[in-house]
Amino acid sequence: MGSALAAPLVLAACDIDPPARESSSGPATAPPPEDADLVASVVAELARAEAVLAEAATRSAALGAVRTAHAAHRELLIGAVEGAELPASEPVHLPDDPERALSVVRRSERRLQRAVREGCTAAASGDLARVLASIAASTAQHSAALSSEVAP
Amino acid sequence: MTTLDALQETLAAEHATLYTYGVLGARTSQGATPELYGVLDAAYRRHRSRRDQLRLMVEEAGGEPVAAAAAYELDGRLLRADQLASAALDLEVSGVQTMLALVAQSSGTVRSWALTEATWSAAWQLELGGTPQTWPGAPELD
Repeated sequence: MGSALAAPLVLAACDIDPPARESSSGPATAPPPEDADLVASVVAELARAEAVLAEAATRSAALGAVRTAHAAHRELLIGAVEGAELPASEPVHLPDDPERALSVVRRSERRLQRAVREGCTAAASGDLARVLASIAASTAQHSAALSSEVAP
Repeated sequence: MTTLDALQETLAAEHATLYTYGVLGARTSQGATPELYGVLDAAYRRHRSRRDQLRLMVEEAGGEPVAAAAAYELDGRLLRADQLASAALDLEVSGVQTMLALVAQSSGTVRSWALTEATWSAAWQLELGGTPQTWPGAPELD
């Protein structure tokens, strides 16, 4: 992850600047305050999905990559909002049957995908929307990979 | 940059992508590599629909859709199946970046559509031998 994201900012320009292709339109601007709630709701969804993955990862190593990606997504979003904290997630109990447990993970990822998509379309900041679109794209890739995953 | 400018840039990129997919498809044997042919054919259809939709959106935004070039430069002469798949994968990687740029420069239905296309291109990369990424379309965040 880029070092520019280390310091908490209010979704400032250096945080989630688009690449050169878009930068010709001028520097990114900080989003209006209402995006902070939006980010918080996506972070909460990421934390929930991570909790599901953490429980499931003990049974399938292939889920580790999804979990790692979501942790990076969450870290960036938390770092972008001043004073943001990681919300506590509810304890997760997965079915003992591996196939049913994997189904729970797939449903969880679909729920996350919907939440990220809603956040992207509602974001006042174009830069934030772009970051959320990338998270949605990443989640779509991991979900596609999970769709072919066979329970151990 | 206005949304119309962003739409025109995206349409220009889509013209090049569609042209390249046409070339890749023409170099793919349906008999020898039916799976690859099917993947490329499905992608060609998706991108053709994407180009048509972009034309409509440019017109709705009050613009004259940018025309395609007569031809586009391709890297080398790709003949092997793995080279063709790799070239197509590059197109989809680039496609996610292009769509994310449109997401950033738009709102409402245009953004929602660009997001849908970005996620499609991201997921389709797996059909072409790609692997899931943490920041598809935004490599500077890695």
